[in-house]
Amino acid sequence: MKKTFALLLTLVMVFGLVASMPAYADDEIIINFPSIWVGTDSKAAYMSKMIEDFNAENAGKIKVVVEEQTDYQAYRDKIRTTITTGNAPDLCVLDTTFDIKAYAESGKFMDLTPYLNEGWGENFTDGAFDAWSVDGKVSILPFEAAVFPLVYNVEILKAAGWDHFPATYDEFFQMCKDVKAAGFNAMGQMAGDNAWSSMLWYSLIVEAIGGKDVYADGLDNPAFVEAAKVLKEMYNYTFDGAVSATASDVNGHFIARDTAVYLNGPWWIANLYKDDNAVDGVKLADVCDVATNPVYEGGKGDGKGLVTTVQGFLAAAKQDDPAKEAAVVKFLQYISDPERVSEWALSSGAMFFIKYTPSPETSLISQKFTEISNNASYTILHVNGAFPTAFSTEFPAAVSALVLNQIDEEGFVDQLQTAIELAE
Amino acid sequence: MKLERSDRGPLIAFLLPAIVVMVIFFIIPVIYVVVVSFLKWNGISAPIARGFKNYLLLYKDKAFTRSVINNVIWALVAGFIQVPLAMVMAIILSRKPKGWKFFRTVYFFPQVISGIALATLWRAIYSADTGLLNGLLRAVGLGHLARDWLGTIETAFPAVLIYWVFYIGYYMVIMMADITTIDSSYYEAAVIDGATDFQQAIYITIPLIKNTSLLTCITLASVMGLRQFEQVYMLTNGQPANTTSTIVLYMYKKMQDTNYGVASASAVVLIIVGVIFIVCIRKLFEGRSEQAKQLRALKKARRAVK
Amino acid sequence: MSENKIHAPLHGKDLLLAIIRWILIIFFAVYTLFPLIWLIISSLKTNFEFLAGSPFALPKVPQWQNYVNALAVAGLGRMLLNSVFVGLAATAVNVIIASMGAYCISRFRFKGREKIFTLFTAGILVPLNALMVPYFVIINKLGLYNTYGGMILLYCAIGIPMSTFLIRGLMDSVPMELEEAAYIDGCGFFGRFFYLILPLSRTGIVTAATFEFLTCWNEFVFANLIVSSEKLRTVQVGIRYFTNQFSTDYVSMYAAIVISIIPSILGYIIFQEQIIAGMTSGAVKG
Repeated sequence: MKKTFALLLTLVMVFGLVASMPAYADDEIIINFPSIWVGTDSKAAYMSKMIEDFNAENAGKIKVVVEEQTDYQAYRDKIRTTITTGNAPDLCVLDTTFDIKAYAESGKFMDLTPYLNEGWGENFTDGAFDAWSVDGKVSILPFEAAVFPLVYNVEILKAAGWDHFPATYDEFFQMCKDVKAAGFNAMGQMAGDNAWSSMLWYSLIVEAIGGKDVYADGLDNPAFVEAAKVLKEMYNYTFDGAVSATASDVNGHFIARDTAVYLNGPWWIANLYKDDNAVDGVKLADVCDVATNPVYEGGKGDGKGLVTTVQGFLAAAKQDDPAKEAAVVKFLQYISDPERVSEWALSSGAMFFIKYTPSPETSLISQKFTEISNNASYTILHVNGAFPTAFSTEFPAAVSALVLNQIDEEGFVDQLQTAIELAE
Repeated sequence: MKLERSDRGPLIAFLLPAIVVMVIFFIIPVIYVVVVSFLKWNGISAPIARGFKNYLLLYKDKAFTRSVINNVIWALVAGFIQVPLAMVMAIILSRKPKGWKFFRTVYFFPQVISGIALATLWRAIYSADTGLLNGLLRAVGLGHLARDWLGTIETAFPAVLIYWVFYIGYYMVIMMADITTIDSSYYEAAVIDGATDFQQAIYITIPLIKNTSLLTCITLASVMGLRQFEQVYMLTNGQPANTTSTIVLYMYKKMQDTNYGVASASAVVLIIVGVIFIVCIRKLFEGRSEQAKQLRALKKARRAVK
Repeated sequence: MSENKIHAPLHGKDLLLAIIRWILIIFFAVYTLFPLIWLIISSLKTNFEFLAGSPFALPKVPQWQNYVNALAVAGLGRMLLNSVFVGLAATAVNVIIASMGAYCISRFRFKGREKIFTLFTAGILVPLNALMVPYFVIINKLGLYNTYGGMILLYCAIGIPMSTFLIRGLMDSVPMELEEAAYIDGCGFFGRFFYLILPLSRTGIVTAATFEFLTCWNEFVFANLIVSSEKLRTVQVGIRYFTNQFSTDYVSMYAAIVISIIPSILGYIIFQEQIIAGMTSGAVKG
């Protein structure tokens, strides 16, 4: 036993010595970038190509070192901790679950306004910074965009006797009844995990009822109570067990082709084209079409309003060294170059707050997403993006309580309101 | 053992590393947590002192009180159902039935399987449409009982709790290790007296492990029950309607909201509840062992009279 | 113990007990083996089969490609080595520190003894998630961010309360008379610790070591928090390689999990033999 331990200990020590850290040239500027655009993410391949090219072009001067982060929740925990302890990474990606306003006000991030005013800002879509700048300064850069049109299975609608997608919510619920009668589920809802699908549906209904200014009075707008009623009604037409379902259940049902309508961001489009998800050689995309949010009778939405979000912000830590600051900005400008972004969008299906000419090879469904996005009369954020993080952490509890009749629609809105107040 | 003067130096040297670690990695961080629990702080703006308000908020929050209740139930079930089950299996396997080595290893497997895998498996078992449990119920003609086990208020928490109770491997191994150190002459004597396996377990094995590995396991299991997080987080995320929430999950969510004050306050509550729990278990065992001694003395006396 | 009974025919009560015993043994075996079997079967499916089909159906064609993905794409080999290295190193240091501490608390009566032990026990209760910020600061201040040393130190430290608790629990059962006898024979502090107490409480130490190693092996939050280089990543980080912001490649992830549990099962079986070896050294309880 002693010998075994001695042997193990020696092995352990030798391994520790051998596995030493890589050395960098002294005058090379290292940009440390914990990134979630890695691994199996659709943006990963092109991102890593861009970084390789950038590092090659600036060999000996700048090196971007990516820290691969695949588990988004763990990534959030890490970024939050590093920022709190004053160790913000040189560059990172944030989403709306972070308190973007507080971060922008904190002064811990690089002020990008001067660089944007020098012409770089022209690359970005109009008004991209409006909602996120503080005192006219932009430090957290809205970068990856997402829109949420509806994708539906044409064959299921046909089987239910529908040759077009409903234009109003009354029609929509009629369609739901018909789809259910034909033996299918109308749409996928989920209250498990982060209740993502139900959160998106709720956002769409809120948009249809409340219109473009629905967030102006916070949760006091009566649209939120009415929308809760509609959301609850939808649970009658989803698959069994939606209360405990997660995103993989919702996705699974749609690719198993037993569910008519699917709601998610543009990143999911690639799955529609995957050979894995084809049945008898017919790709899912071939039986799918894209529709806009139906109109709600008496609602303020005009049918062309669109639910969107900022899927990814780029944030760079404030630097003391001007050379390093310049290097970080150089990299940011490199990856937001319209030509590169166009290729990036093509390879990943993602959308960006950058003006670019879409490649003609873009998939049909992607094109329809872009078209809907271009035709939108106004956009609103999804509810998770519009309210503080406490809203999104409480949302699954509130939805499940609503659907299981633990609370009524007013109680649903109250619960979310209380959660927000508790965090303030 | 009495402490000799010559032992004082080595004693301090032996105790010091553990104490240093405890101070740096537990005492100081916990002081930090306690301090933050009296603040309003989002981790980025300047913190504001707010006295006991965070604790008051916890007291008023139904989701939190539910979490505390769930944890207490969990700790009780772990300590007084899971561990006794483990003890029964430890006693059975330490009698070395055919293939005992194989079973002892197999029972331990769930401890090494990643929590993500266990959670997805049990989600699949409890699932409403393709679930194994509903399938079984329908197959034996109890289809009316089929339901969305994790999506129903009444069944979600029991479902989360029950599946874990039968993963006894770790506690079983601890107790088996202890049982094997029992002097075999006790059993030999008992066999000569005509004691059955059952009687041997009751009168020899259990009393001899009670204040060592059994107490260790009950304390451990209760603490694990109080600290429960990963399984709930991955299985239900505390839903439906916060009915499966636990203190650590609640705390974790408050951290996501960058509500560090309330998150820290809930951590402090957990530590307090835990200390109360441990003290109660020890009191219970001290009391019990006294009783057991008296009982044994009484029985001996009776036998002698006969 | 009961060898003389094995050949005796079973009657009535005994038979009933034997039946109950075997029902229990088999129930638990099925219950604990099921997840592993399910995991292996699922790891051989396509994602379509996993998501869209019944979760309990067999794959049409076993997808060995998933294992290739796990090993090649996620770079699991290096991560396994890292996990083994960090786990063993942290466990070794942890168990040494904890058994020294437990020895003092278990065998000597001194002022504040029970207070110190209560402190250790309370340490088990601390929800480590709450300590992300302080731990990050400590590791950074020590200059151990993104090093093996940082991970080993942190893992060793967070397991100290548990290990001390477990080792003390089993050290207490070593009879005091034995140590007193050794003391009268002129055996000093270190002699008693190394030659008497350590060997006799080997079961407790191995139990604590197993627990500590598994904690290291399964730990993810801090592995991700205090390390940034891919070269230092552990296997739990690797398992999550197939997760991204929007979806999870479950089948490849399961393949990665299956690969990652093989070393821990093997390690456990080897450790178990050590426990048995330790126990043949003498039955002392009484």
